[in-house]
Amino acid sequence: MIRVSNLKAAYGKIKALHGISFHVEKGEIVTLIGTNGAGKSTTLKALMRLTPPESPTVTAGDMEFDGVSILGMAAHRIVSDIKMTLVPEGRHIFGNLTVMENLLLASWTRKNENVDKEIHYIFDMFPRLAERARQRSDTLSGGEQQMLSVGRALMTKCSVLLLDEPSMGLAPLIMYDMFRTLKRLNADGLTIIVVEQNARLALQVADRGYVLDTGEIIAEGPAEELLQKPEIKAAYLGG
Amino acid sequence: MQRYAINILFGTAAIVLVALAQAGILDKYVLTVITFMGINCIFAVSLNLVNGHMGEFSCGHGGFMCVGAYVGSLLSVAFFTNSKLFGPALFAPELAHFLFPLVLVGASFAAALFGLIVALPSFHTRDDYLAIITIAANYIIISIVENIDAIGGPRGFSGMKRVVNSMSDAADLPWMLIWTIIGLFVCVMALYRLMTSTYGKGISAVCQNEVAAEIMGVNTNRVKIMAFMVSSGLAGLAGALYAHVYGYVNAQSFNILKSTEGLVMVYLGGMGSISGVLLAAIAFTLLIEGLRFIIPWLNDVLHAANLLPASYELSQVWKWVIIPLILILLMQFRPEGFLGNRELTHVFPRLKRWITFR
Repeated sequence: MIRVSNLKAAYGKIKALHGISFHVEKGEIVTLIGTNGAGKSTTLKALMRLTPPESPTVTAGDMEFDGVSILGMAAHRIVSDIKMTLVPEGRHIFGNLTVMENLLLASWTRKNENVDKEIHYIFDMFPRLAERARQRSDTLSGGEQQMLSVGRALMTKCSVLLLDEPSMGLAPLIMYDMFRTLKRLNADGLTIIVVEQNARLALQVADRGYVLDTGEIIAEGPAEELLQKPEIKAAYLGG
Repeated sequence: MQRYAINILFGTAAIVLVALAQAGILDKYVLTVITFMGINCIFAVSLNLVNGHMGEFSCGHGGFMCVGAYVGSLLSVAFFTNSKLFGPALFAPELAHFLFPLVLVGASFAAALFGLIVALPSFHTRDDYLAIITIAANYIIISIVENIDAIGGPRGFSGMKRVVNSMSDAADLPWMLIWTIIGLFVCVMALYRLMTSTYGKGISAVCQNEVAAEIMGVNTNRVKIMAFMVSSGLAGLAGALYAHVYGYVNAQSFNILKSTEGLVMVYLGGMGSISGVLLAAIAFTLLIEGLRFIIPWLNDVLHAANLLPASYELSQVWKWVIIPLILILLMQFRPEGFLGNRELTHVFPRLKRWITFR
């Protein structure tokens, strides 16, 4: 479904990706793991076509969705036409709006459409958000904010969800909850690409994984295989 | 009833003011001050769209007012008067009071077009850079106007008084006051409708968090450029009205000082609050006019108390000490302005029974 071939990208003069290739099929959970600065977030931002300087400029290679290149598209078209969206690192929720307003604002692309079904689905997935629906979202805890960020992404009726470090700053218990939710969303038909520092957790949930190191893919394969590989264990899974 | 509160408010204001003027209760000076109040309201509320609602920082709003003032003046002189520049009038001067909206619309479109020209390159940058670009644009516009000798260059351009006079000849009414109230009404309604529309929500989203707006599918570039065009177009409307009230325009009246006045009004009222900025524009105009009387009075009092040397007279220049001082104090003690980013109905919930803003 998504095919990235020999993608090179840079922030100004600083090269961030040195030609990476990967693919994601419909209904999969794929994880990109690696250390700080490996280019994981950069890859997601490039896929999302965010406006520079937020995202890198692509200098070579191609990104295709169902055989159509998405290089020339802007972020809003990725959301509305490709039906792919991002849960950004650091959540980026609208702090001065309530939980409900955040969700409603995210149905921006669908004017005057009834969104009760999606709201219901999201509140069913995250009961905590239902309890806090009328609360200002900057008063939520970190975990709840992450839920809201995911919920808001779902409001765009996306079929592919990109998540950038969803476990960042979360307590272990909440973190496991978050990944259980991802599994459930995936079972409901969502294709997921998740970038994670917590490689062990990500590989336990994912179907396949790619290991990035300084802008290059150094290993790939089914998640269980990566979990077993000694060199990956030593470098990324804490021995 | 609530929904039409703004319409009714403007309608009654217009009728009462015109009636008072016709009855001779309000003299010409008071009427002019009220008209300028309206023009300042349009100017400030339009700037508020970019600096308040959208959270960008545009510093050259006077430039767009300048475009509107000149284009409006040229159009009305060409339409309704026999001039050396354009030859005989295109329309009969008796029609001026019917066709004047054409002038206003033309001026607004011209200013919006200039807004587009400035916005296209500048929205690839943000924050401070946008501020610098808009200041530069302000200077560019003034320099262009000053270097076109056909429209008076640095001497300025006049002839609009004849158009206003021919309006009064057709019907003896305070026409510029009426046009200003209509203009302000259109401006306020347009901005309210815009900010409560889906597009307006996109503008708020861009203001809050651009990345978040993008991943929700907001076309941030288009939203920003459109908001900037609406904002500069309305500034052009203010400019066209201004030119006709004075009957004379000079590019230097729209320099950085004018842009700063706009900023003062926006920050005084509270960024993103339409009612707050309207209040601030009214207060600011009253303050500027009030200082005309207060400064000589202060001068007399200080001389009487022997606090000033007899050789020194407190002049009107002190206005530009007092106004920035007020701004400094405001930033110190109430940085969010009169109303913050809330509307009047949020600050006084009881008003909701009478008026609804969204």
